[in-house]
Amino acid sequence: MEILFSVIPVLVFLVFLFLLDSFKLVFKGVLFASLSWGVLMATLLYLLNVSHPVFAPVAEELLKSVFVLYLIRRGKAGFIIDAAIYGFASGAGFALAENLFYLNAIPEASILTWIVRGFGTAFMHGGCTAIVAMLVVFGKSLDQKGLLFPILAFISVSIIHYTFNLFYINPVMQTLGIVVLLAALFILIFRYSEQRLHNWLEVEFSSEVAMLNMMNRGEMLSTRAGKYLDSLKTSFPPESILDLYCYIQLYLELSIKAKRNLMLRENDFPVVVEDDIDLKLAELKALKKRIGKVGEITLMPLLSMNYRDLWKLNLLK
Amino acid sequence: MKLTAEKNGSEVLLKIEGRVDTTNYGEFESSVNNAITDEIKTILMDCSEMNYISSSGLRVFLVIQKKMMASGGKFKLFGMQNSIKEIFDISGFSKIFEIYPDQASIVK
Repeated sequence: MEILFSVIPVLVFLVFLFLLDSFKLVFKGVLFASLSWGVLMATLLYLLNVSHPVFAPVAEELLKSVFVLYLIRRGKAGFIIDAAIYGFASGAGFALAENLFYLNAIPEASILTWIVRGFGTAFMHGGCTAIVAMLVVFGKSLDQKGLLFPILAFISVSIIHYTFNLFYINPVMQTLGIVVLLAALFILIFRYSEQRLHNWLEVEFSSEVAMLNMMNRGEMLSTRAGKYLDSLKTSFPPESILDLYCYIQLYLELSIKAKRNLMLRENDFPVVVEDDIDLKLAELKALKKRIGKVGEITLMPLLSMNYRDLWKLNLLK
Repeated sequence: MKLTAEKNGSEVLLKIEGRVDTTNYGEFESSVNNAITDEIKTILMDCSEMNYISSSGLRVFLVIQKKMMASGGKFKLFGMQNSIKEIFDISGFSKIFEIYPDQASIVK
């Protein structure tokens, strides 16, 4: 019974979050890797026997978050929803392993202890790592490239974690509070994020299709985008203009297909992987290198180049 | 957006007119759902009067396709204007849906 209370609730909540992801942004393999990361980090800290009241929460929060921060940095988590779920999974894995260690160490503890640990502590662990992930992604969506948001996130969750461990209020009430608050917070944030994702898909998809259509028909010069590209002739050598043009065309094609795959995933269809997709992704990478930072900045008025772009291309494989 | 339905046994012919975009995709989806009953095994969608479709509209098409596949039915589109067909081709949705130039070319 103890084991049920200490490990099952947080896994059930993780499944609940996974089901809330109606766009199916989360990949099961990455989710499992996030969970495993948490287990690994809990094992590491258990072996190191870190128990300082201030240092332990900070170390735990830092270690739990490393994997989801890596995912965000590599563009494998592009929205608040997927980042939060991966973050929660790391925290859940951590709590799961930690509770198993405690079960082994103090088998005589009362059932109430395991209820508090299984619902309260475990949810706090998952919730804190999810908050780090959400804040970092939110910062990226505001084009904040510095460390402001990661630092803010770590300070916030370290304080939450530290305060939680002090049990200022009745542990059962604290546990109940954290479960209700987290569920409400996730539902609200997921709704907001899904709306944003929907808008992103809607507006960008239509404009990208229209622009690519124009390019494929050779009517690009009659558009504003074409005129802008034409005006660059005075500033760039002809081969660079050609690279910029090819980059836009290939980027649009891949971006549209990535969005198609997102729509397919949303409706449980298998994603379509074109035979030449690896070649095209490699070509896009080579073109990106050739146009350089100056080229990317030059194309900003035409293509919305943000951190999500890297993420969405992952949907092509 | 206007949707008309004409039932013929286990088949229904849906004719869509106008735009399917973010402002009316919900209405489009519920109109289609109303037209599909349990006995319907084939949906023929006449797209000749549809002059715009956004990603929201495409997603409704996917929902219909999913529903028909689950019930062992068919969802066939025909008569698309070139500009609309290009959207399907560019995005690769042509491989997902059965698309025919006109109603006569649909093999029953």
